[in-house]
Amino acid sequence: MPNFLRPLAAALVWALLASAVAQTQPATKPSGPYRNTGWEDLTPKDWDPTKEFRDMKGAPLSDNDPRANAMLKRMREAWDAAPANPAMEGAAIRIPGYLVPLEDTKAGMKEFLLVPYFGACIHSPPPPANQIIHVLPKTPAAGLRSMDAVWVSGTMKLVRSDTSMGTSGYRMEAVLVEPYTAPAR
Amino acid sequence: MTPLFSLALRSAWNRRGTLSLVAASIALATLLLLSFERMRADVRESFSQAVSGTDLIVGARTGPVQLMLYAVFRVGGATNNIRMSSVQTLSEHRAVAWVVPISLGDSHRGFPVLGTTPGYFQHFLYADRQPLALAQGQPFRGDLDGLYETVLGAEVAQRLGYRLGQRITLSHGSGAAPGMEHGDKPFTVTGILARTGTPVDRTVHVSLQAIQAIHLDWVGGAPVRGLAIPAERARQFDLEPTEVTAALVGLKNRAAVFAVQRHVATFSDEPLLAVLPGVALDELWEVVGVGERALLGMSAMVGFVSLAGLVAVVLAGLNERRRELAVLRAVGAGPRHVLLLLASEGALVTLLGVALGSLLTLVFIAAAGSWMQTRFGITLQLSAPSGTQWLVLASVLLAGLLASLVPALRAYRLSLADGLSPRI
Repeated sequence: MPNFLRPLAAALVWALLASAVAQTQPATKPSGPYRNTGWEDLTPKDWDPTKEFRDMKGAPLSDNDPRANAMLKRMREAWDAAPANPAMEGAAIRIPGYLVPLEDTKAGMKEFLLVPYFGACIHSPPPPANQIIHVLPKTPAAGLRSMDAVWVSGTMKLVRSDTSMGTSGYRMEAVLVEPYTAPAR
Repeated sequence: MTPLFSLALRSAWNRRGTLSLVAASIALATLLLLSFERMRADVRESFSQAVSGTDLIVGARTGPVQLMLYAVFRVGGATNNIRMSSVQTLSEHRAVAWVVPISLGDSHRGFPVLGTTPGYFQHFLYADRQPLALAQGQPFRGDLDGLYETVLGAEVAQRLGYRLGQRITLSHGSGAAPGMEHGDKPFTVTGILARTGTPVDRTVHVSLQAIQAIHLDWVGGAPVRGLAIPAERARQFDLEPTEVTAALVGLKNRAAVFAVQRHVATFSDEPLLAVLPGVALDELWEVVGVGERALLGMSAMVGFVSLAGLVAVVLAGLNERRRELAVLRAVGAGPRHVLLLLASEGALVTLLGVALGSLLTLVFIAAAGSWMQTRFGITLQLSAPSGTQWLVLASVLLAGLLASLVPALRAYRLSLADGLSPRI
């Protein structure tokens, strides 16, 4: 190889290496200060909804047994009272979900609920309190309808409503609501 | 360029008969496209403005859209009433902040009558959480002394020329047939609401007890002969309603809406349905959207046909104008100039048509606006074109320009000799 070509070849190798390194970077790069977050992070790690019902195991109950219905009701209540994850207080996150409109105005949606799965409000029991985010966009989000998939970025707040069951939930002041796109791989 | 343009103008003026017909058909197509877009946007807007701050609408089991249409827009009918006791139980749910029961089914000269509690005037919100405001007077008191008091929506008062203190009678059902009047129990107007641009404007509001009172002497769907209970005597009866048509529900924490909805759906005493107004409305748009797309397609088709007419007329004119164009070429105009001449003529006609169409749209909306308001409670806005309307205008203009390039290109290809030595 002629001498004058050496530096050129070295540069080429460097360029190739650099592009290879760039490609092996983590795919879910944070967009701005908002950390991509999944719905499972909204449930406290140490919360176990089945704990309360351990003693019921093995009891032979038929479908229409009133005890079965009562137990179902209790489970429902336990789910409704599912605690929020204290670690999420003040967290700046970006989370994907489906939108259920609450206040739709001329300018766009001013309030909506974000839920983790489509049809969350109709077909099956609703998601527990800690899997629903009450979103208040800073600027009304225009051009959205119910059950649109969106990415929402904002700061999480824990809301403890003063009811007897102590149901708590999440509220988010969203700075950005954008149509859902699959994360880059 | 300017002499060429004035030449195009004068040439077009010379054939004003046919060209004005083409301009008129473009104007009509523009009118169709613009007013359709305006109506679509305004209907959606007035619907989404109609209710705000209400988390759930609870009623007898039917479709979510139907319940929403009946309870909020007074369109269609209820399949069944719900028990007042169920409404009572629901209002005791820990997540529920307020419940406003409503009772529908009577009317006054074609305007629906809504029986409700005084809480309606506190809790019912419209358009971005605006509360109802009284333009004159005060709400009905909701007790026995205020039994025959009524509050009118703005449109009812204006259309029928009612003032405070006026006495009105309600009729059974939604028609105005004689003999079905609750004529023995007249109501006094105590309040008139400020205009909202929602179905509230077309509603006559009375208390739930009043609805009960006017039906005291009705048995089995008809007034019973000989059982007339005078208005004053009615106060001695138990007027607490046992059933209502629907209930509006507000929650303490809006995120609890699914849990409460589930609670209502699985209510063990009677089958009930709870709908989120926003979700039901979006469901309605999904249905309406199909028709909207069909109408939009038809309007676009009409636009296409008018532009095809433009092409046909200019192309046909080309044959008559072979000599004229040839003379132009002979005095030094290049093929380029001929092309420009014909294209600007087409553009001129399209522009005229679009301008005329926009003007017609304004006239149409101004004329139909008040009728739409009374008939359907939909406010058409007489405002500057919206973004989508500008898009419609621009696309008609662009299509017109492209269409007029067809005859222009044909003229561009004709040779100089073609027009000077016509074979006859």
